Amino acid sequence: MAAIAPTLDDNGVMDFVASGFVILEGIIDTDFNRRCNELPGGNADAFIGGDDFTRTVLLHPQVAGVTRSLLGEDFLVPAGGHHHLFEQPHLGQTWHSDGLSGSGYDVTELQCYYYPHAVEIEDGPTMVLPGSHCRAVDREAIAHYGDIMGQISLTVPAGTVVMTRYGIWHKAGPKTNTRRRGMLKFSYHRQAEPRRDWVTDSPEIPAYADRPRLAYVSEVESYRDRVRRMRTWNWLCGLDTEVELRWEKSRPVSELS
Amino acid sequence: MHAAIQEWVATSRQKLASGSLTADDLDRLADLTRQPRQLVLYLYSRSSNMRSALASWMLYDATKPQEPTLPSQEPPYASVLAAVADGWRIVQFPDIKLYAYQGVDNDYLSFEFILEKMV
Repeated sequence: MAAIAPTLDDNGVMDFVASGFVILEGIIDTDFNRRCNELPGGNADAFIGGDDFTRTVLLHPQVAGVTRSLLGEDFLVPAGGHHHLFEQPHLGQTWHSDGLSGSGYDVTELQCYYYPHAVEIEDGPTMVLPGSHCRAVDREAIAHYGDIMGQISLTVPAGTVVMTRYGIWHKAGPKTNTRRRGMLKFSYHRQAEPRRDWVTDSPEIPAYADRPRLAYVSEVESYRDRVRRMRTWNWLCGLDTEVELRWEKSRPVSELS
Repeated sequence: MHAAIQEWVATSRQKLASGSLTADDLDRLADLTRQPRQLVLYLYSRSSNMRSALASWMLYDATKPQEPTLPSQEPPYASVLAAVADGWRIVQFPDIKLYAYQGVDNDYLSFEFILEKMV
């Protein structure tokens, strides 16, 4: 097949490093979204691994373009996945991360959520916590958390795909109605060694430009986040550079006349 | 509680004698004998200072049906201290040893205060 073109530039990759997710709103066409109307909940390997889903969703230029940007060349395309389907009111899931995840500075897996139908707040949208993707926690030990400042409810139009770094804290939010709310979950994996081969306009690798402190993060946690982000950025760029916090508003005393 | 029930009995004897004891009096007795129940409130403060702004919160209320409520970005109080001013009692303070300043990896939310109110 033709080479897949990356779509993120330095700025987009830095945003992902900080937040842990990319939202592609309404990119899948209406006809295909409707094909999910009768899809049962549970294992969806046959549907997700099928030719139509692969061509329409998994290799959609924007979805594959983000994947190519973050996982490099010849990434592994999902051959299956799960349909999370909710049709009755419920309290919502508890906050959790999937699998043995949450630590490290690499980006080797993108866990994606595809919403074939529009999701309103009453439908129990997936909730994600920006920046939580590198917090190393026992997934059962964050189940008592409730509302968190800066949490995002993914109220999105039909045909939206959300792409996350594996390990981000998430949950199905509380659902107060009986409208069908489905989400197909699947993952891409990295094979290539990391290097800065996304969209660039210069061969010179820029230093990581930090993003604003997240609403739930304490002062010292924000410094830790900054170090972690720089390490992830360097890792993605293929750099083996030790990270240290610098004071941009200072200068060596020897440079003063 | 015991004194309140004794008072109720004394009052009710008089009402019984005068024929004025009603179902409302029995409801009052039921209220007096009911065990108080515990509400539990988790508050996550931006620092160990009780005046700090909140980062997260969760109320566990076993006195009401467990029904879905929509997410909120409005904390129930401005701070832990504001919750205490509203009658909440702190049953667990953050253990500072859990927030050792070492390494650069974040994990759980900090700083966890657990409060209760008996209703």
